[in-house]
Amino acid sequence: MPERRPRLEGKVAIVTGAGSSGAGIGNGKATAVLFAREGAKVLLVDFAKDRAEETLAMIQEENGVASVFQADATSAEDCRLMVDAAIDRYGRLDILDNNVGVSQRGTVVEVTEEDWDKVMNINVKTMVLASKAAIPKMIETGGGAIINISSIAGLRAHSSTPYTTSKAAVIGLTLSMAADHAKDNIRVNAIAPGLVYTPMVAPRMDEDLREHRRNSGPLGTEGTGWDIGNAALFLASDEARWITGIVLPVDAGLLAVTPATYSPMQQQTRY
Amino acid sequence: MRLEGKVAFISGGGRGMGAVEARMFAAEGACVSIGDVLEDESRKVVEQINEAGGRAIFLPLDVTSEAQWNSAVAATVSEFGKLDILVNNAGVGATSMVETTTVEEWDRVMDINAKGVFLGTKAALPEMRRAGGGSIINISSQLGLVGMDISSPQYQASKGAVRLFTKSTAIQYAKEGIRVNSVHPGPINTPMTERRRGDPDHQRIMLSRIPMGRYGESEEVAYGVLFLASDESSFMTGSELVIDGGWTAQ
Repeated sequence: MPERRPRLEGKVAIVTGAGSSGAGIGNGKATAVLFAREGAKVLLVDFAKDRAEETLAMIQEENGVASVFQADATSAEDCRLMVDAAIDRYGRLDILDNNVGVSQRGTVVEVTEEDWDKVMNINVKTMVLASKAAIPKMIETGGGAIINISSIAGLRAHSSTPYTTSKAAVIGLTLSMAADHAKDNIRVNAIAPGLVYTPMVAPRMDEDLREHRRNSGPLGTEGTGWDIGNAALFLASDEARWITGIVLPVDAGLLAVTPATYSPMQQQTRY
Repeated sequence: MRLEGKVAFISGGGRGMGAVEARMFAAEGACVSIGDVLEDESRKVVEQINEAGGRAIFLPLDVTSEAQWNSAVAATVSEFGKLDILVNNAGVGATSMVETTTVEEWDRVMDINAKGVFLGTKAALPEMRRAGGGSIINISSQLGLVGMDISSPQYQASKGAVRLFTKSTAIQYAKEGIRVNSVHPGPINTPMTERRRGDPDHQRIMLSRIPMGRYGESEEVAYGVLFLASDESSFMTGSELVIDGGWTAQ
């Protein structure tokens, strides 16, 4: 059998939120590492430069090609500069992984207006601004792939109204962008992670809750950033070249048994 | 290799999407059993795989027969030692209105497209349990998700059945490490769609519903099946992977 070629050979990718917000492997870090491992040159974008540098160190250890770009993805100007940096450094742009995001609990009664705006800005507007800057450049080189990280919380109640609303918006954005840019050969897909254990959620977990989350998925296994990274890798690659406008759950089967998702989420409200 | 050490069974592997899946799985390191009613075409695929340095066998299989499923699964285990992956790919197309659909035609399509998936799954589960887990991929359709005027009640009902059968099986066997996901291809350039693609009016209607502006290729479905078969998707079960050029996005 012939040797397999790297799945992203010759591609250039941007991953936003490429650092992890704490020790361990977040979705962005795992995605960036897997992209580089499969031959892509990766621009590691993060608000916190030192966090992106940890991801860079992992990639360099494997002799991958990547570099850090510090940016606030809620700024249109920073998003423009980010896309320019990818093209200056690596010559083109093929893949945008819109991964940056924050969680926010609470009901509409509880959430402050300030927090509401913050979540919508970080979880939705960043994807709009980054895509706005990236798409014209992708068109110049014949197309591209955009991956937006949504959540199962965008499809079901999750005791996190601001977060759920923002992640549902990501799905609408994905469908609409997919239809708008199919003719440009730009594919736009979303991933809906389930209860994965990442540095974003770790600070509000004790061992009991972590175990409870693990057991609440039908598979009973704990998801990690690598599971999300592998799905992003598939959608970014030419293997998925006829896939656009989909929402891919990576959730241990939670969405297939929807009522079971609610009670474990309620447990989290004690934090 | 992405399926190194795995054993896979592909129903309808003699031609179309199934044949491309068989060759791709073998190239990624899997031993492959092709179960099909089409012996000559299947043997050709087996030969191609073995000549390329892979391992494959052909097993005669009418997917509507429980006895044939049982012997095909037993023959796979006796040849390759176990079973890790099942692709329920065999299926037939159909075009009609409710009032012009006979009971015989309804039964024929439901038997092949829906009962065939049930029987394959039933035959494979004990072997997957013995292997410590597994991955089942059921080929549904974008027409298992949304309606279409020029399809048929029996085809749409059968593909809708596959969608929910997948979730039922996924939930019942998740704790045993057996993952079950469905794939929903849009219109693909395969022998099954060949006749209707030849009709320019039909083709025009289909293309107008695909944002990416073209039919899909078997390879583009096979890559999705490969992803679900591999350990890369180990946190996925009960999900729907839609490969339709954007058909259902709008």
